[in-house]
Amino acid sequence: MTEEDEAAFDEFLAARSTALLRTAILVCGASTIDAEDMVQSALEKVYRHWPRIRHDNPEAYARRVVVNGAISRSRRKKVIQEITFAHPPDTPVESPDLGLRDALLAELRKLPARMRAVLVLRYWEDLSEAETAALLGCSVGTVKSQAARGLARVRARMGNLEGASA
Amino acid sequence: MKVEEALKDAMASQVAGVYASPSMGQAVRRRSRRNVVRFRTAGAALLTVAVAGAVPVYLSHAPAAGHGQTAAGAGDGSADTAAVSGVVVPDVIGTDATSVRTILEDAGFTVEFKEALTEGQGLRVVTAQEPAAGTEAPAGSVITVTIVESDSPEASPSATPSADPLPQDLGDLGDGRDFGGIHVGYLPDGLEWGKWSGKDGFGKTSYTTTWVEPGLEPGMYSVQMIVYKGDAADRLADRMKGYRGQGAEAIKVGGKTAYLVPLGEAPDKITEGGTLTIVWTERTGLAVEVAISPDYAKKIGKDAAGRELKKIAEGVAPTR
Repeated sequence: MTEEDEAAFDEFLAARSTALLRTAILVCGASTIDAEDMVQSALEKVYRHWPRIRHDNPEAYARRVVVNGAISRSRRKKVIQEITFAHPPDTPVESPDLGLRDALLAELRKLPARMRAVLVLRYWEDLSEAETAALLGCSVGTVKSQAARGLARVRARMGNLEGASA
Repeated sequence: MKVEEALKDAMASQVAGVYASPSMGQAVRRRSRRNVVRFRTAGAALLTVAVAGAVPVYLSHAPAAGHGQTAAGAGDGSADTAAVSGVVVPDVIGTDATSVRTILEDAGFTVEFKEALTEGQGLRVVTAQEPAAGTEAPAGSVITVTIVESDSPEASPSATPSADPLPQDLGDLGDGRDFGGIHVGYLPDGLEWGKWSGKDGFGKTSYTTTWVEPGLEPGMYSVQMIVYKGDAADRLADRMKGYRGQGAEAIKVGGKTAYLVPLGEAPDKITEGGTLTIVWTERTGLAVEVAISPDYAKKIGKDAAGRELKKIAEGVAPTR
């Protein structure tokens, strides 16, 4: 790794690390500290291969590592427990003082990790269906169906809330 | 409001106040060093002995003036260089050409190739170095390495052409449980041999290898073991005295007196949050060190990592 590589890596972090961290939080539903740890571990991979990937869309590579890391992390028992402890599924969703946003986020957290990743990439990162599919290593058809099913569940929650408040 | 917009709005509100820490780069680099098999840090171990911890190795990295890569911010590099005199030259013979620069620069040297590097798929390894390994040279001085294309068939990893091949000093160890004159009777479930081994990277005479979770990238480890003999064993004994001096309590593991300590960049310093490591003397002139990588320790939990290290230590027995 040359000095120039190191400097370019720092620039890359300055430009992208906040966005990567935010995406990680949304995809794995974990706390900021957990997500930061995950992003560090993903960026470690990026760093190890930096001289090779820096000229070949490092952002896409980093995002892929972060998202896939977040998916597998959120599948792990420990984090799932943390999420359920933070948001017990039985009680809070219907409680009246919970705003629409919180309800949507709670619903988002309950989705399977991969489905949640699709929603985050499509509607938060504004990636196209093709880009999302490439990043997750699945077909465009899978992205479409996962997005549709995820949205349907979120929509149902939203409908319930609006119905309740009306 | 459309559900897509509502969702985006909710997501935005969740992460609006989140910013990556400015020290992210530092954390990533530190982490990278801790999880990579500790072959390169052998230079660091020797360095700390030689200069009594004047500066961490990675700070002493200073490009030689006139080498065409003196970047802004490296202006104070010469001061570091002056502070570190007489660094032991690491052994790079047999190292892949793409990693030799990192190894030598991490140890504080500047590298000059005798043969110009060209882009190619063929594996190129270092066949000679000047000055020789083990001699002392001023930090920042130039190490000349000769690179030759390797035709050894086992050293052409076609699946991962970009990976740095790890040293194979002890050949094929099978499950890795017999090496350096010891037998490893216990290893945590699910680990397999890391398919590499090093000799004398941690002083003369020392042997090291790793075990990994399947699928781990080359160069990363889950458990690393180092066997020290002769002089190297004496130095480890000194290190253990040092741990005692720093307040560590000796523990008994199957009749052996061991130290279970977290270690940072400098292996002679107990560092809170460092790599969990157990060291003990098996018998006079034979000492062993076992580390669990921070990533693996995190996965199985810190307490479990300590327990596993003790079980590994208990299961080690000399074979001759």
